[in-house]
Amino acid sequence: MSRIILASAVVVSLIAAGSIRSVDAQPSDTGTIIGRVKLKPRVGGAALASSAYPTRAVGPRESHPLPEIKNVVVYVKDAAFRGTPAPRKAEIRQEHETFIPHVLAVTRGSTLDFPNDDPIYHNVFSLSSAATFNLGRYPKGDTRAKLLAKSGIVKVFCQIHSHMSATIIVFDHPYFTIPELDGSFEVARVPAGDYTLVGWHERVGERSATVHVERGRTAQVDLSLPVEESR
Amino acid sequence: MTSVSFAGTRPPRLLVRTLTVTFLTVALLLVVVLVVVMLTVRMQVRQAVAANLESGQRMFAALETRRQREMRAQVAAIADSPSLKAAIDTMQTEARSHGAGANAEAIETIGRELRAVAARVDADALVLTDARGVTIDSAGRLGGQWPRGARTGIVIGTEGDGYDGIIKNGKSVFRVAAVPLQMPDAIVGTLYVATALDRNFADELTRLSGARTAIISDGLIIGTTLTDRAARQFELAVAAAKPVGGVVSLADETFAYRRLVAVGDTMFYALSSIDDSSRAAMAGATISMAWLGVAALVLALVGSFALARLLTAPIGQLSRSLAARAEAPALASPLPLTGSSREIDALTDTFNALMASVAQAEAQTEAAYMGAIRALATALDARDPYTAGHSERVSVLSVAIGRLLGLSDDDLEVLRLGALLHDIGKIGVADEVLRKPGPLTDAEFAAIKEHPVLGARILRSVPFLTPHLPIVELHHERPDGRGYPHGLRGDDIPLAARIVHAADAYDAMTSARAYRGALPSSVALRELWRCAGTQFHAEIVGALANALPGLTSDAEVPVLEEVT
Repeated sequence: MSRIILASAVVVSLIAAGSIRSVDAQPSDTGTIIGRVKLKPRVGGAALASSAYPTRAVGPRESHPLPEIKNVVVYVKDAAFRGTPAPRKAEIRQEHETFIPHVLAVTRGSTLDFPNDDPIYHNVFSLSSAATFNLGRYPKGDTRAKLLAKSGIVKVFCQIHSHMSATIIVFDHPYFTIPELDGSFEVARVPAGDYTLVGWHERVGERSATVHVERGRTAQVDLSLPVEESR
Repeated sequence: MTSVSFAGTRPPRLLVRTLTVTFLTVALLLVVVLVVVMLTVRMQVRQAVAANLESGQRMFAALETRRQREMRAQVAAIADSPSLKAAIDTMQTEARSHGAGANAEAIETIGRELRAVAARVDADALVLTDARGVTIDSAGRLGGQWPRGARTGIVIGTEGDGYDGIIKNGKSVFRVAAVPLQMPDAIVGTLYVATALDRNFADELTRLSGARTAIISDGLIIGTTLTDRAARQFELAVAAAKPVGGVVSLADETFAYRRLVAVGDTMFYALSSIDDSSRAAMAGATISMAWLGVAALVLALVGSFALARLLTAPIGQLSRSLAARAEAPALASPLPLTGSSREIDALTDTFNALMASVAQAEAQTEAAYMGAIRALATALDARDPYTAGHSERVSVLSVAIGRLLGLSDDDLEVLRLGALLHDIGKIGVADEVLRKPGPLTDAEFAAIKEHPVLGARILRSVPFLTPHLPIVELHHERPDGRGYPHGLRGDDIPLAARIVHAADAYDAMTSARAYRGALPSSVALRELWRCAGTQFHAEIVGALANALPGLTSDAEVPVLEEVT
């Protein structure tokens, strides 16, 4: 049930992004990058045994409904974009002691909402270089908004529930996307040129590949990330 | 019989001897018992102490394990800090993505959170590492041993999870409890709470357990509350075998020891001195045993004295009776039976029988003597028919006089025999002189006068007649000094001699002679009274007069004869 809701929320946000992109005043000599992100099992990085002292009664896996591929962001690293990209409207909900979605990508200047759907208080704060803030605690049905004015990685946490976290990447340009469930992605309207395409995951960092974008053409790049699929 | 003195040293008294033997026996027995008891007590105390230690240390080992677990639980609760985890996660994510630009806010948050935790945890160091074991930050007294960016060191776990164990960081060894900092999808770091295994830790353990402690890592003592010498010996004793527990002698002291915890090659030992523990117990036991010993010795002394008395008292009593008998042999009463033992009574009986037979033999000897003397006197009297029975009569009369004068029985006995023998010297006087009816010549009279000296000379050869000699020799002395043989006067003449003199004269006068008939008693008395004071002592004559009526007067009446 919640999966469907979440999936639809993501689709909504993507549609919204698409609609914003369509009004961008960009030169028409652009190409498209498509490809697929493959998650490789992590090698030699077996996690330490979980502590004998679980911190909360709610199992973290149960409240982590999105597959790991949705925690990947694909973007063009060294793209130049003149002017300010169109700001977007997006939200991260707090549900079942989890930030949903866990990973989000927005353009600089976008405003993010943090509605609380849980019957308990939550808090949103960040210690990131890109944005340091604390939105305080608030109950179910309430929400807080945050304008992300600086590009970079913004990790948000809940001061009450230490296992809750979400990551927002704020870009100076619109050339980024989150792959589909099957790993496929498409970054459209990229100006022709040579780029570094990056697949990012918070536990892995960046894995990149070079890509040559020609006008009116579609370039194909596959990315591989050593990330463990959700257990 | 007791006061017999021996040549050289006198032997000890029987009492002393018996006392010595019994006391020595009892004392020896006592000493043996005491020694055995003390040894037993010491052994049992040692066993009890060792058992106490064993259980105490077992408990302490369990407590130590639990303490470590609780430490982890405490640290886990404290480390579940959203700020801390957020800061680490943020910092790590940023580092992975940009590789540049340290997040000052996150670093400061981490430092602040760590110091807050350190303030609430009793530990020497608090170390935060990332998932790869690289130090992110540290706090606490010895936190400086973990510089940022260095690896934590070798972790040796007890339970295989790496979260409980030992860290060797350079030369220092730390006991650690560790907790992972967990995000839902990953472990972002590990928080170590480290306690230095040094002298301080050993002191703390000692304070908690009440035993001495030694911490050994890789065969070397890294912290201990033992003395240096004992520590070195313990190191040698334990390094190779790594025993769980036992008893070991260190620096002249015996310790019971037990391994509390072993983590890899690092071991915690608790040691307690058996000597120390048993000393107190032994002190108590020794004091009571000493009292017991003193009491037992006193008892032994009293008991052996009583025993010795029991053995020697009858002998002593018998010995005293014999001594008394020796001093007064005349008292021929038999010795009393002590009734204390059959042997002693038998001895007494035997002695009494012996003494009785001796007394009988003496009496027979004396009777034989008396018989012989009487026979001699009778034979003498029989030489002259006129003097037959004279000695016997004089003897009877003399005893009667003596009794009136209050002489003792002994003196009367002497008197009786002396009177019987008074004329024994006449043996040496010729018959014709003795029997001569007519007047004597001077020479004849002189021969007659020799008879007292002669008699004395005859009797002197018989020792037991010595007391009778004066009677025989002096029974013709007169108070006026005109008597013979020495012419003694008045009081110089012994009383017995005076009595016999008077009795002799009276009997002579009242006996018949060849030349006259017997004079009547009254005439004889008158004659005696006439000569009283000159020839006879007056009081003797008085006594004679009084004694006569008590005598049987069946004696023949002799004729009056002038006896000189």
